[in-house]
Amino acid sequence: MSHFLDRLKFFDKVKATFSNDHGIVTNEDRQWEEAYRHRWQHDKVVRSTHGVNCTGGCSWKIFVKNGLVSFEMQQTDYPRTRDDLPDHEPRGCQRGASFSWYLYSPHRVKHPLIRGRLLDLYRAERKSGKDPVEAWAAIQADENKRKSYTSVRGLGGFVRASWDEVNEMIAAANVHTIQKWGPDRIFGFSPIPAMSMISYAAGSRYLSLIGGACGSFYDWYCDLPAASPQTWGEQTDVPEAADWYNSTYIIITGANLPMTRTPDAHFASEVRYKGAKIVAMAPDYAEFVKFSDLWMPIKQGTDAAAFLAMGHVALKEFHIQQQDPYFQEYARKYTDMPMQVMLRKQGDGYVTDRLLRASDFDGALGETNNPDWKTIVFDEKSNSFIAPNGSIGFRWGEEGKWNLLEKTGADQRETTAQLTCINHRDDVVSVGFPHFTHGEDSLLYRNVPVRKVKLANGEETLVATVFDLQVAQYGIDRGLGGGNVASSYADANVAYTPAWAEKVTGVKAADIERTGREFAYNASKTKGRSMVIMGAAINHWYHNDLAYRSIMNLLHMCGCVGQTGGGWAHYVGQEKLRPQAGWAPIAFALDWHRPPRHTNSTSYWYFHTDQWRYETLKADTLLSPAGKGKNKGSTLADYNVKATRMGWLPSMPNFNRNSIELAEEALKNGATDEASVAQYVAGQMKSGALDVAYADPDNPVNWPRNLFVWRANLIGTSAKGHEYFLKHLLGAQNGVLQESGAGRDSKEVKWHEEASIAKLDLMVDINFRLNSTGAYSDIVLPTATWYEKNDLNTTDMHPFIHPLSEAVSPGWESKSDWQIFKTIAKNFSVLAEKHLGTKKEVVALPMQHDSAAELAQPFGEVKNWKNGECDPIPGKTMAIIKLVERNFGDTYRKYIALGPLMTKLGNNIKGVDWNTDQEYEELKKHNATVKEPGVSQGMPSLEEDIYVCDSVMRMAPETNGEVAHKSWAAMSKKTGIDHHHLYAGRHEDKFTFKDIQAQPRKIITAPTWSGIESEKVSYTAGYTNVHEHIPFRTLTGRAHFYQDHEWMLDFGEGFCTFKPMVDLGELNNLPKAVQAKPHLTVNWITPHSKWGIHSSYQDNLRMLTLFRGGPYVWLSETDAKQVGIEDNDWVEAVNHNGATVARAVVSQRVPQGMAMMYHAQEKNVNVPGSPSTGKRGGILNAVTRVIIKPTNMIGGYAQLAYGFNYYGTVGCQRDTMVAIHKIADKDVDWLERPLTPEREAQLNPVGIGAK
Amino acid sequence: MNLHDFLYGVYPYIALSIFILGSILRFDREQYTWKSDSSQLLSKAGLRLGSNLFHVGIIAVFFGHAVGLLTPHHFFLSLGVSDMTHQMVAIWAGSIFGGLGLLGGAILWHRRMLNKRISVTSRGTDKFILSWLLVTLLLGLSTIPVSLGHAHEGNPGVMIALAEWAQSIVHLRPNPALLENVDTVFKVHLFFGMTVFLVFPFTRLVHVWSAPVGYLGRPYQVVRSKRHFN
Repeated sequence: MSHFLDRLKFFDKVKATFSNDHGIVTNEDRQWEEAYRHRWQHDKVVRSTHGVNCTGGCSWKIFVKNGLVSFEMQQTDYPRTRDDLPDHEPRGCQRGASFSWYLYSPHRVKHPLIRGRLLDLYRAERKSGKDPVEAWAAIQADENKRKSYTSVRGLGGFVRASWDEVNEMIAAANVHTIQKWGPDRIFGFSPIPAMSMISYAAGSRYLSLIGGACGSFYDWYCDLPAASPQTWGEQTDVPEAADWYNSTYIIITGANLPMTRTPDAHFASEVRYKGAKIVAMAPDYAEFVKFSDLWMPIKQGTDAAAFLAMGHVALKEFHIQQQDPYFQEYARKYTDMPMQVMLRKQGDGYVTDRLLRASDFDGALGETNNPDWKTIVFDEKSNSFIAPNGSIGFRWGEEGKWNLLEKTGADQRETTAQLTCINHRDDVVSVGFPHFTHGEDSLLYRNVPVRKVKLANGEETLVATVFDLQVAQYGIDRGLGGGNVASSYADANVAYTPAWAEKVTGVKAADIERTGREFAYNASKTKGRSMVIMGAAINHWYHNDLAYRSIMNLLHMCGCVGQTGGGWAHYVGQEKLRPQAGWAPIAFALDWHRPPRHTNSTSYWYFHTDQWRYETLKADTLLSPAGKGKNKGSTLADYNVKATRMGWLPSMPNFNRNSIELAEEALKNGATDEASVAQYVAGQMKSGALDVAYADPDNPVNWPRNLFVWRANLIGTSAKGHEYFLKHLLGAQNGVLQESGAGRDSKEVKWHEEASIAKLDLMVDINFRLNSTGAYSDIVLPTATWYEKNDLNTTDMHPFIHPLSEAVSPGWESKSDWQIFKTIAKNFSVLAEKHLGTKKEVVALPMQHDSAAELAQPFGEVKNWKNGECDPIPGKTMAIIKLVERNFGDTYRKYIALGPLMTKLGNNIKGVDWNTDQEYEELKKHNATVKEPGVSQGMPSLEEDIYVCDSVMRMAPETNGEVAHKSWAAMSKKTGIDHHHLYAGRHEDKFTFKDIQAQPRKIITAPTWSGIESEKVSYTAGYTNVHEHIPFRTLTGRAHFYQDHEWMLDFGEGFCTFKPMVDLGELNNLPKAVQAKPHLTVNWITPHSKWGIHSSYQDNLRMLTLFRGGPYVWLSETDAKQVGIEDNDWVEAVNHNGATVARAVVSQRVPQGMAMMYHAQEKNVNVPGSPSTGKRGGILNAVTRVIIKPTNMIGGYAQLAYGFNYYGTVGCQRDTMVAIHKIADKDVDWLERPLTPEREAQLNPVGIGAK
Repeated sequence: MNLHDFLYGVYPYIALSIFILGSILRFDREQYTWKSDSSQLLSKAGLRLGSNLFHVGIIAVFFGHAVGLLTPHHFFLSLGVSDMTHQMVAIWAGSIFGGLGLLGGAILWHRRMLNKRISVTSRGTDKFILSWLLVTLLLGLSTIPVSLGHAHEGNPGVMIALAEWAQSIVHLRPNPALLENVDTVFKVHLFFGMTVFLVFPFTRLVHVWSAPVGYLGRPYQVVRSKRHFN
């Protein structure tokens, strides 16, 4: 009762004694124990998860006490897996378990914050009587006023403001930007919708309604494997983690399972108990190596060489020395191996050219629809060339023949495609294969068996099957004579033998040979249950697509893709936005306006942060001697500008003119409808009066003006070329240690001697923690955390959909992202009504994959209208031109309602269309209808976050059996095969938000994905391609070994080859002080993080406590010793891009020649100044710069056509070298000094000019 | 009532009441704050010497005061301790232990104020109470020359007056008049000393109550039973 009174009973304390009075028994008060009980007592438990792009998708119990989140714990109520599989749970890791710290942490953004100087300026203008838009315009018109706030970005100076005031300012900035520059100067960046799809949709819906642009993320993060669309016409469809358990042989490379797939890693342990063999490939002794039976310590960035050598072994032993029946059947039916490739004479021999087409034959083999797009095999049954079912020509314009049944397209006869003509050859010719290994020949001539074909134009040409060419390219001796083939694995002089690979990779030839053989042997015995798990470490390189293709080749030779327990398992930033079809219309406002503006972020930032001005990588050095070489002398930037002009990739902004003014001008000049406006635009392009914005990114007309960042940490982690962002985009203090000039050679991009500084008028960050992105923004808006909002979450790793739930109301003044953009939309509508009204604008759209536009440019021939090779024809030789009318004043009313196009135009995904009338009516009843008078009155409401969740699930085939039925019916029509059985058992299922709050639900099989949800097999990619005969969405309809586009051949990537790391010359002008000191030059590796994931946890107090309390760089023991670096010393990594400072972790785990700085260690904790730049220490990306790859720009050509986060340039950063040197403790400068005018004016490092 | 009467007739009871009631309330209501707030984890520098000197000094001085002031005069005499012996013991013991306490206190004060980690993690009351104790100690030591003067003159009157005043307080028959002719330095020292009691429950000093004396005689095992004892 009273502690004090209890104490007074001192003499009554001993109740009994024992052990000869050595022990006493008391009845002391036990009330203190209540403290521990209270710690775990709670008022309620709510199901939520973490919307972070680890893609774990783990269900968590959130414990709430007294209105506060007290702790979280793993949920263990997932639906069971089938009997022969371990269960998924418990899911969740240390990082997630510590998340609740953020809610009440010092990092939390509690109120709207704004840069103080900007607020003063704005208030002064408003006070002088201007309305918000005029006030914003006045600030932007005055160079000095603008500079006064842009130049202090990143230096603090935030003040608290009211929601009303910041919303008004954001709306004013958007209205002004649309008026003066055009809607596409407003840009939004947010990654990985799957982690919290409604939050993503909030910003993208607002931007899409006002004509702003959304930037991609998957490619920008360099997590996007370009090889996936190249090979399958699909972007990242991968097995669920449980499918690892069905495998019997697994190679793991570049994916650190226990660290970055923590909740799934148990499957890798469990499958070993079942007897599977695991081989690990990693340069360092990474955590996942402990799972393995064999560790191949491979030199970083050389994985393609090792896999090509394994392919050499598999191909030789299972296709040539003996013909494995399963492998041969698989190659014939599901790969392009039997397709016929035309050979082109070059010098003394031949080089490979495009695939043969139906239209090459007299009468087009009876094909009238798209004969240019139907590829050819040699049919063993009829002894003739035929166009089999399933190529892309059958996908569009006709029905019922787009399938992988072995039939002729013309008359549906049974066929057997021939893989090799070696026994029926007309001739053997010498074919040159491009080769890029330093110190070896650049064209390797090998003998190939060929047939002769008479073409429709009367010419005769030589053709060879992809199989025959591929065997030759792997350097396998088939007894046809000629050079560059190996009869022995020990021949180190012939490319792609194991002995050759040992030279390149450092891995023992015997290990490569054995692994290649075992991998194939296992696949042969199990019908494809050999698997490769791969990830970031091999995908973040410039030539990542080749590394991946080398693996896919091995998998296809061995019939693994599409088989449970087999295939590729790519895990890095991958996401499976499972109810994508229901989500996309809401996210991109397709229910009101089509098309939305999407862009590939890598090219966007490459131009707008002026990284192109510093380009040291010469495109000519990448060209193949077997290409046509029409683009010799072009820079990488030139290639990108050409790609946008030809309608392959988007340019954002679209044009160097305001798209609204452009539309007005077209209409004034006689255009009347969309088609004639498009004609006008094409004419303007041709005359040169109009051009894509990327052709002159330093012209203020083309600058991005407003930037929204939400759910992201753009500046703090993902900005490759971080310092260039600070310098050119933001105009802030930056550490770029060079002046631009290397990009001057560009012919298509206009060069200005003076570079642009501070392109952005306004940067808005929406976040719950004040990270580096917030620190550089002008306005920071407080958003709800993952325990404070209602949202949806799905992942690749398991087949369930589950919710984020509002366990507690959003803290302080924060709101959910959906509500934030709703209020911005409301403010915008008020100002837009007065200043903008209703306007028509021109929207340029690249030829999209999965639409008929992917057939725009036949034969992979490149015709550039700018060079006069053809006329600019919208949708054919240049971008598709659309005319969109927007009543800007209705933006809010449209935001809050599901719009009429859902019934007028219906819904679609990946080329399959269906009607949504029924779901639209259901949603009117399920959600409320909009009461607000105006354009959207009576429509299904999207006012509340839960309404949005339910609308997404109602419209998606994965969460509504009726929609699955409609979409599969449409698919069945296309393929001519009945797929009804795939979803039949779940036709009646309909999920609601309340359902998934009760328990995560397993999704329904949908045509969106290539795997199935079943009680018999785990989800795996390519399953329906192989088992349902639905074609891959490629040119041939099969998985591609060969790429026949002209640019692919120009760069020598027709077949997969090995290309070494590129040389960027980053160390050419090191600061003198560094040159004079002992320093290391090492490869800069930025793996996925130990204690953080992309956007959080790294600065979480609990995680910081685990390791060093701030940024760190791992170094090899031997390297460190050479330059006197000891463990925990401060070191600086520096090159011409900038510098970063961290503590050294010296370890024998790391091989010599590389330094590892884990991802997402940003500037906000424990980062001192850099001695080289004089600015705050930098981040992992302060020493990187993004480089773009021309082959990733190809468009308008079957699988090589643009799609948002599907194809495009990728933001690679691993081909980077840095110098590392020690900073003595006494020289560590924390820069804790006041901001003086001199310091403010010194934006660049001392001695570096503004160019 | 003049200020003198208030300070030496009323203030002692205010201080003692707050001292006792405050301690009880804090012990009952704020168990988690009942601690010494050791800063040893943050910095060990100077702690071993400073803390030990300070504690030895201050504990000895405390008990010296308690015995010296509260033992009835005739009791001393009956033990054969003459007033002059008493005075000389008080002066010498006071000087030695007061000196130790001062030295230790100075080390601790320096550490608390100037060691950055300690300083920024200190509460206001931590810095205040240490400083206050030091001033009290200094004042106490400043009485020594005066006492030496008295001893020289062979006059124990002031000492006896102080003891009688202290006993008058304890006997609830306050007699501030006893102090009217005492040297000012004693009066100031008294005020500071009484104030230590006043602020005691609001500071880390509460740990004094919980000095772990019981450990000395504790059996090896202390257990509780689920059985109910009355």
